[in-house]
Amino acid sequence: MSDKTPFVHIDHISKWYPYKSGDRNLKKEKGGRLYVKAVEDISLDIEAGEVLGIIGESGCGKSTLGRILTRLERPTQGDIFIEGVPVSEMIRQDSKKFRRKVQIVFQNPYDSFTPKDTIEKILLRPLKNHNIGSTKEERIQMCLEALERGGLHPAESIMKRYPHELSGGQLQRISIIRAMFLNPQFIVADEPVSMLDVSVRAEIINMLLELSRERNAAVIFISHDIALTRYISDRIAVMYLGRIVEYGKSDDIVRNPLHPYTKALISNCGSIDVDEEMSIINIEGEPPTPINPGPGCYFAPRCFCTCEKCQVNYPEWIEMEEGHFVSCHCAEKEGGKQN
Amino acid sequence: MEEPILELKNVSVTYKNAEKEVYAVRNVNLTIEKGDSLGIVGESGSGKSTLIMALLRLLPENSTVIEGQARFLGRDLFTMTLEELNEIRWTQMAVVFQKAMNSMSPVHRIGTQFEDIYRVHEPKASRAEIKKRVYELFRLVNLPERVYKLYPHEMSGGMLQRVAIALSMLHHPNLLIFDEATTALDVVTQGQILKEVAELEKTMAMTRIMITHDMSVVAVSCSKIAVMYAGEFMEIGRTRDVLKNPQHPYTKGLLKAFPSLKGEIDGLSAIPGFLPDLSKQCRGCIFAPRCPKKTKACETTRPKPVRLADGRTVVCLAVGGEENE
Repeated sequence: MSDKTPFVHIDHISKWYPYKSGDRNLKKEKGGRLYVKAVEDISLDIEAGEVLGIIGESGCGKSTLGRILTRLERPTQGDIFIEGVPVSEMIRQDSKKFRRKVQIVFQNPYDSFTPKDTIEKILLRPLKNHNIGSTKEERIQMCLEALERGGLHPAESIMKRYPHELSGGQLQRISIIRAMFLNPQFIVADEPVSMLDVSVRAEIINMLLELSRERNAAVIFISHDIALTRYISDRIAVMYLGRIVEYGKSDDIVRNPLHPYTKALISNCGSIDVDEEMSIINIEGEPPTPINPGPGCYFAPRCFCTCEKCQVNYPEWIEMEEGHFVSCHCAEKEGGKQN
Repeated sequence: MEEPILELKNVSVTYKNAEKEVYAVRNVNLTIEKGDSLGIVGESGSGKSTLIMALLRLLPENSTVIEGQARFLGRDLFTMTLEELNEIRWTQMAVVFQKAMNSMSPVHRIGTQFEDIYRVHEPKASRAEIKKRVYELFRLVNLPERVYKLYPHEMSGGMLQRVAIALSMLHHPNLLIFDEATTALDVVTQGQILKEVAELEKTMAMTRIMITHDMSVVAVSCSKIAVMYAGEFMEIGRTRDVLKNPQHPYTKGLLKAFPSLKGEIDGLSAIPGFLPDLSKQCRGCIFAPRCPKKTKACETTRPKPVRLADGRTVVCLAVGGEENE
């Protein structure tokens, strides 16, 4: 959305999963195939050092997007450009180089480690695979330092332990340390604190932010906790059924949401400020399954301000304010220049 | 004054095995008036669920010791016989667990399961009568009527959880307990259910206990809040008072770990340290090892609950916990 080459440029990516069903009522694509459109035509730019939050209900494709960005899934269409180089090209030439650039922190720290290995083995593996440090002693020293810096004392004893002997907070810190070992410039954090206890959440978040700031890395923070996302992110993208419906500065999104879905989402979100008035906007039902949605606006069936136009075309991106984009026919009517 | 719905007096729960005893809940006192909604917050392992399980008498009797009194509508829950308990379960006291959605039978339609459960307490109820009541409940939790004919695998987790919540209200219970019942739900669904439940409370004089670790849920849906740490209540009071002006260092710490939705962005901070080993008896204040404001006295003197002017109870030496010794 700007002229100069952004650090990470996501260019019209989509991910469709083929779907088999005996249900004949579902309308089919040409060739008689059905697709679950988990991610549909997403374009975003992220600058180095920027934190982009992605929010939305479960099943809206947030995690699939995260997995595509780290190439755990291949996009059906589109590509991602890091510093102008397409990722598909990068992977073909040197996949390890790509892995050094892009890392991910998963939601569940209990599942992201091999239960049979000690923390030492787990931490040494990426170092060895990427030829960081020349001897084993040097690598162990690096691990010890990283653990100490991450607030895990005593590092020696933690290195000898197995994942089940550590708490979720400790494991999530190790998982961040492991991701940071390779000095990545682009980090995807997929709900990194939703499994953790409130009292340790802040620590993990602060650690993630600190480490990524040191490296001037770009971070994508995927979460359903809106208050937390606003606290962390510079910008927020709101996803609904595989599409981004609104994008802008965090404060603009939370304080002045333009898309009806964002409005409903934020109105339903509790705050610890007891003085804040709550006026809940009801939206009916569940998000429909993303099997061949459309042709109109995906949110139209649940929206509280639909018009005929919403049933026919998917709304275009419009810039309502400086850097605040929304795709909604309603907002369009209220003004704003077409993008 | 009307008799309180639930009154806990010196309730302690101890888990026992051959090697050690774990003091999961210690000397808890609590009164819940009719129409109250109480949120119990605290980090995991602080004994919130243990307390509720003890009240419901769902803990294994051979490995737990429950002491104290829990008067529910004038009867002691802990001394009741099993028959008496069965009588009040679901009709006067109902519970929804976090994983309630997994407790449905996979081979029966939702409607059949509702009918079965309804007939436990109303054996003579007709099908049409049950259906009418169930549709009413479905509307309440924002479910379409077709759910009646569905099997559990045909629904999403959020829908099943709403089914479980509808199920808990089948017989208009006086006391409804949500043990992290809305935690797994989406923001939008959670917001709507909380709103519905709050409205119900006004119209049907229902009382609710809500266990959660999310302060914002309590802030929007409960009139009272109880902050629990390591098996003890640290602060109990009206939600508004406690959240605006927390007195106990633990409450302050918990609130600092939550960012505000629209207000100013301050730094987030965690509470350093871990929960204490609950198998050891503690002489002083249980929170002292992690407290930022501890003094020498905190390690040796056990604070007593102090009642403040706005009606809240705080257990901390700094708030005057030693005066009434």
